[in-house]
Amino acid sequence: MQNSRRRTRRIRRHISRWLYLAILTMGALVMFIPFAWSLSTSLKPLSESLVYPPVWIPHVFDWENYVKIWHLVPLARWFGNSAIAAIGVTIGNLVCDSMAGYALARVQFRGQRLMFIGVLAMLMVPFQSVMLPVYILLRAFGLLDNYYGLIIPLAVQAVGIFLMRQAFLNLPSDLEDAAIMDGAGRFRMFWQLSLPLVLPSLLTLALISFMLSWNNFLLPLLVASRPHLWTVPLGVVMFQQEYFVNWPYLMAAAVMTTIPVAVIFLVFQKWFVRGIATTGMR
Amino acid sequence: MTVLTTSKAPAAAPPQRSGRGSLRLFKPSRRARDARIGFAMTLPGVAILFLFTLGPALYAFYLSLFSWSLLNHMHYVGLSNFGFLFTSHLFWTAVANTVTFALVVVPTQTIVALCIAVLLNQNLPAKGFFRLAFFFPAVSSSAVISIIFMWIYNKFGILNGFLSIIGIHGPNWLANPLFALKAIMIMNIWTTSGYFMVVFLSGLQAIPQNIYDASQMDGASAWQRFIHITVPLLRPTTFFVVIMGMIGTLQMFDQSFILSGGTGGPLHSTTTIVLLIYQYIFSYGKVGYGAAATVLLFVLTMGITLVVTKWLGKPIEY
Repeated sequence: MQNSRRRTRRIRRHISRWLYLAILTMGALVMFIPFAWSLSTSLKPLSESLVYPPVWIPHVFDWENYVKIWHLVPLARWFGNSAIAAIGVTIGNLVCDSMAGYALARVQFRGQRLMFIGVLAMLMVPFQSVMLPVYILLRAFGLLDNYYGLIIPLAVQAVGIFLMRQAFLNLPSDLEDAAIMDGAGRFRMFWQLSLPLVLPSLLTLALISFMLSWNNFLLPLLVASRPHLWTVPLGVVMFQQEYFVNWPYLMAAAVMTTIPVAVIFLVFQKWFVRGIATTGMR
Repeated sequence: MTVLTTSKAPAAAPPQRSGRGSLRLFKPSRRARDARIGFAMTLPGVAILFLFTLGPALYAFYLSLFSWSLLNHMHYVGLSNFGFLFTSHLFWTAVANTVTFALVVVPTQTIVALCIAVLLNQNLPAKGFFRLAFFFPAVSSSAVISIIFMWIYNKFGILNGFLSIIGIHGPNWLANPLFALKAIMIMNIWTTSGYFMVVFLSGLQAIPQNIYDASQMDGASAWQRFIHITVPLLRPTTFFVVIMGMIGTLQMFDQSFILSGGTGGPLHSTTTIVLLIYQYIFSYGKVGYGAAATVLLFVLTMGITLVVTKWLGKPIEY
């Protein structure tokens, strides 16, 4: 009796495991299909892409689209712009967020609470909602149509300060106490002692900032009015509005834009997840 | 603003003494030097952040009181921009679209994310692969995803191809005012669920395993465990996911802008508040209307956030 009940339970657990796996596989397929579809379209000539009902596997794999769009639009330039903006934003965040995070976690100074509450408040203001005043400020500061405009507004993130503060709070304090005894300056302690100990958080911060800038659409839309300053996402959208019937071109551009993101994501997956787990936010 | 003024008092109080306060005897100037360096280290970050976040938010309040086209002289008009918005059909359409969008997307993505996270937490094989598959859309560019979905939603796209297999003649999704916003909702749920799934996964890992073990001894079924243990103990995580989801969806811009070619069409069915703000500056040249809409968006976001906090933000009781 006892035995048979245990057996039915085991069978039931077996069935539910297969059911879970089936649901997850279906879900993963749903996640995968749009990317697979864009890859498939990108390898078709225009005439085949418009066949209905749609064909999944192209008749012949046609890599032409990938070559042609580099000549049709300044894609190389857009990739370069995206890279410059993303690297600038990453450096800005690494420097500013880690210094501010350290001071808020480890140093005591007048106005600290106020600054921390200010950072918390700024967590709640998304960029899109202040688009209009930001645009007017950028215009007033002369930051339209240049790289600074693509970098400075994203060069500090409240989330980044938060993440670094958390990392520095978790360091044991005896190391620093010893350094204080030795009479080391604060900045040297930050630079030589504490910063090397939070390298994993710095990597997470770098990834978050890089992706934030690389994927950003609204800021380039506001800042860059001329094609030579467009980033890849903006360029691809503008390209779409011009060539909106040529889906193979567009999908080739989409695939090429996604590849760097996919590579970074695959290599650093663990750190992305870690970033979410420690701050609970992007 | 209120945050800034109310927090003045505690900030002016002397910093608390920590364990290392005793070192003051040893090196009396330490604290003073710390104060200066701490301030200097925080300043660049907070200043830039203020300049592009809280500063603009305050500036929007100021601008909302003026009539300005970016080219002419500003002149003060009091609250009449708000009066215009309150009587504008288009503004209320945008509010309705935005709120509908948030009220459909946030609950759906929260439930989908929670379900996937719970399934992924079952020690199944290929867990890492599944997590990757669900998370990847969340780190991709919204612009690229929007373009891919434009093609999927095309009259002759893959979605209608699938539907035709089961005998449904699909509409031209993005050109039909009945379906365009729904199409964006589906795309948005598809994109962000994976991100919140990861948040839920880290929340699930914080629930002590022995609670589950104990309930299993008492003969609770998997469903009972989910409803009576997982859901209540995850409430802080759920709170966070719902708040972030609300703040995110109420500011929706990229997807509407791209899928409608910047128009918010067809028939304003995809015009969101932020898209309308964009149009007020760049199409109509009405900075005051846009700034007033920005202020009203703050009010809306804050109101909804407060409601969610009232509803979900209580501490958990074991």
